[in-house]
Amino acid sequence: MFQWLKTGAAALGIVAATALGAAAEDWKPAGPVKLMIAFAAGGGADTQARLIAEELEATLGWSFIPEQVTGKGGLNLAAAMKSEANDGTVIGMAVTETLGYNMAASNSGMTPADFTPITTTAGFQMGVVARSDKGWNTMADVVAAAKSGQDIRFGVMSPRLADLAYLLGKAQGVDFNIISVKGGKAVMNGVNAGDMDIGFMAGIQAKGVAAGDLVNLASALKAPLVQTPDAPTFADLGVEFSADGYFMFMGPAGMPDDARAALANAIKGVVENTETKAGGLIKKAFGGASVIMGGDLDAMVASDYASAGDLLKAASE
Amino acid sequence: MSVLDYIWLGILAVFQGPEAFSIFGLAISITVIMVISGFFLGILVGATPGLAGPVAMAISLPILISTFGYNTDALLPVLGFLIGVMKGATVGGAVPAILFNTPGTPDAFMTTLDGYPMAKRGEAKRALRIAHFSSVSGDTFSDLVLIIGAPFLAIMVERYLDLPEKTALLILSLSFISAVVGGSVGRGLISTGLGLLAVYVGTGEDFYPRLSVGTQTLAQGFPISTSVLGVLIIGAVFKELDDLRSDQRASRMKPITTSDTNSALTLAERIKLAPTIFRSAVIGTVVGALPGIGSTLAATLGYTAAKRRHDDAEGGKFGEGVPKGIAATEAANSAVSGANLMPVLSLGIPGNAAAVFLLLAMDSISGFNPSPTVFKFDPVNLNPELVMAFGIFTTMFLANALNWTVGGRVMRSMGFMIRIPKHILLPSVLLLTLTAIYVQETRIEALYFALGFGVLGYLMRVFGISPLPFVIAFILGAKLEETARQAYAATGNDPWFLFTHPIAAVFVALSVGVMILTSRKRGSV
Repeated sequence: MFQWLKTGAAALGIVAATALGAAAEDWKPAGPVKLMIAFAAGGGADTQARLIAEELEATLGWSFIPEQVTGKGGLNLAAAMKSEANDGTVIGMAVTETLGYNMAASNSGMTPADFTPITTTAGFQMGVVARSDKGWNTMADVVAAAKSGQDIRFGVMSPRLADLAYLLGKAQGVDFNIISVKGGKAVMNGVNAGDMDIGFMAGIQAKGVAAGDLVNLASALKAPLVQTPDAPTFADLGVEFSADGYFMFMGPAGMPDDARAALANAIKGVVENTETKAGGLIKKAFGGASVIMGGDLDAMVASDYASAGDLLKAASE
Repeated sequence: MSVLDYIWLGILAVFQGPEAFSIFGLAISITVIMVISGFFLGILVGATPGLAGPVAMAISLPILISTFGYNTDALLPVLGFLIGVMKGATVGGAVPAILFNTPGTPDAFMTTLDGYPMAKRGEAKRALRIAHFSSVSGDTFSDLVLIIGAPFLAIMVERYLDLPEKTALLILSLSFISAVVGGSVGRGLISTGLGLLAVYVGTGEDFYPRLSVGTQTLAQGFPISTSVLGVLIIGAVFKELDDLRSDQRASRMKPITTSDTNSALTLAERIKLAPTIFRSAVIGTVVGALPGIGSTLAATLGYTAAKRRHDDAEGGKFGEGVPKGIAATEAANSAVSGANLMPVLSLGIPGNAAAVFLLLAMDSISGFNPSPTVFKFDPVNLNPELVMAFGIFTTMFLANALNWTVGGRVMRSMGFMIRIPKHILLPSVLLLTLTAIYVQETRIEALYFALGFGVLGYLMRVFGISPLPFVIAFILGAKLEETARQAYAATGNDPWFLFTHPIAAVFVALSVGVMILTSRKRGSV
C-alpha cells in the first residue's frame, strides 16, 4: 500500500513537472548552460546545484557546465556574471543575501538591477547552535553564563550575521566575542572543536541536532525552526532583524521572460519533488523546498536590498 | 555490547554489506570491490605526475554519490573507495618522485632528493621497493595508532590547543620550514614570503578583493592547484628543459637502466631501515593528529630528523641517493593519513586535502556525524556510528592488506615510464599537468596562472631558492590568517594573544629560536 502511494506520488510529481514545463512555452536554452556556483565544491549548496542540473539534464535534455565562482558571499559570482549572456545560457546559484545586504554593504558598484533573480530553492534553517554537552538548553542559559563573567565566542559566516550576533548581544545586555569564519560548515567545525561556544548554522546542524550532539538555542528567523519549534526567535529575544534568506538561482540583467519562467519552473519541478536526489537533499537539510519566483521574488530582493541599510545603521550605533 | 562486539559488527558491515556479485555462491560485498578499485586507481593516479589522490577523490566523490545515493548503505562503499584511492596514491606518489624527479604531490617532494639520484645510478627499482616498504609500514603503524588513540589523542590535542595556540603553531611551522628547508634562512624566508603574498591575493574578510589591482581575473585569487603544480611541477619541467637545451648531450644520453637482478631488499636491509622508518612513522603520526598540518611537514620533519642522525661516512651523503632518505620521507608522509583521521572522525576537522574529501562524503551521506560521540562505547544501546567507525577502520586495513600483498608489484610495474625519453616525457608531463589543472579549474586564466607560477618556480630554482617553503606557505597561509583573526576575536580583541597565552608564547619563542640557531649553525660551517 505504502509502496503504491509512493509510486503514485512520484508519478504525480512527474506529471506536475511536465505540466509546468509545458506552461513555459517550450523555451529551450540555445546551447549548454553555464552554471556558476557561489559556494565551495562539495558543500550542501554546491551539491544541491549540481544535482538539480543533473536532474534537468536527464528529464529535459538540457546540458549544464558547472563552474565554481566562490567568495565574498556570492559577490564574486555576481561580478563575474554581470557581463555574461542574458539569454538563459548563464545562470548562477547564490543566496538572496548576495543581492541584499552583501551588495548594499560592499561598494562594489553593482545593484540588484544588474541581475535577474530566477527562483529560490530552499530557505535557511538558521539557528543559534551550541554543543549539547555545554549544558545550555536555550539562549537564556548562554546570556546567564555571559553575565556571570564567562567569555562567549559566537561563530558567524557573513558580515550580516556578525551584525545580527552583535545586536543579539546588545539586546540581551552582553558582549559576545564574534568570530567570522567561511561558511556554515566552518562554524560547525569550530563549535564541535570547542573553538566557539555558539554559532549560526543554516541547516547543516540538522543531523547533529537529531543525533543529540548539537542543540538549537534560538531561531534567527522570523518563524521558529522546523526542527526545534520551541527555541525562541530573534524577535522574542529583542532583535528586530532576522537572518531569513534563501538559496537562489539568478542570471544577468534583462533575461527574457520566457527563459526566466522556463528555468524557474524546471528548477521548481526538481526541488519540490522529494523523489529526486536534489529534492531529497533539500528535504533532509532544509526541511523542504521553498520556491519563490516571478514578481514575488523581485519584490523580496528589492526589499532586502533596501532594508540592508537599516541593519547597517543599527549595528553601527 | 562490548568493545569486541563493536569491532566485529564493523568488520561484518564491510564484508556482509550489500552484495555486488557472488562467486560460486560466495557473496562479494560491494564495499570490498570499491576498496579494491579505489586502491588500483589510487596507485595509477599517484604514479602519474600532475595527478594526485585528492584530485582523483575530488572527481570521484560526486560520481560516487550520484551512484550510491545518500543512504547509510552508501557510506562504506563510498568511503572505502576514497580510502582506497588515498592509500594507493600514497605509495604511487613515490613513483614520479623517484623516476621523474617531479613529485605527484607536495608531500613526495623530499622523496625526489634521494630517490632520483638512486634512479640515476640505475637503482630505480630498489628505490621503489624501499619507498613501498617504508610507505606501507608507516601507513599501517599510523592506522594502528588511529584505532587505539583516536578517542584519546584528538580530544587531548583539541583541549590544550586553543585558537591562539593554533595560530602560534602555524607560525612555528612556517618558521621551521623557512629555516630548515631552503638553501639558507634568508632564501627560505623569501620563498615563504612569496608563498604568503601569492595566497593573500583576492582573499580576506573584506568585500574588496585584496591585491587584485581592480581586475576581475585576480579577484578570486590563485587556485591552489595552479600555484602548487605550477611552482613544483611546471617550474621543474622548465628547468629540466633548460638543462636539456644547455647540455645537448644529456638528451642523447642512453636511457637509465634499472638493475632488475639486484633490486630485492634483504631482511637485513629491512632491519637496518627499521629505526629510520619507525622514527618517521612516529613523527608522521604525531603531525597527522594535529589538525591543519599535513603530510608535507611530516615528510620534511622525518627527512630532517633522519638526515641529522645520519653518519655520512657510513652510507653516502643525504641528497645523493641514500636509501634512508627515501625511507624517512615515505614512512613519514604515509603515516600522516591514518592519524589525520583522528580529528576528522572525532571532531569533524580535516587535516589535509584527502581528509577533506572523506569528511565531505561523511557529511553528504547520512548515518555518520563526526563528533566526539562517535567514540562513545555504549554498552546498552547500540551506537551505530561506532560500528561505522570500525567499518571504516576495516576498509583501511583491507587497503593495507592489498598494499602489502600486491601494491609493491603494481607500483614497480609503473617503472616502464622511465624509458620514455625526456624530450617526449617533459612536454607530456606539462600537458598532463595543465590538463589536470584545467579539469579542476575550468577557466583559461588558471592555465596562465599555472604557467606564470611555472616561470616563478624556474627562477627560484635558478637562484637556488627551494620552492617547498613557497608551497607550504601557500597552503597554510589562508589558515594562518583565518586562525589569527579568529584568535584575535575570540580573546576579546587582544592584540597580544600570541604572548599572553603560555603555550602560544613558547611556540613563538621556538619560531625565533629555530631561525637564530639555523643561521648561526650555517654561519659557523
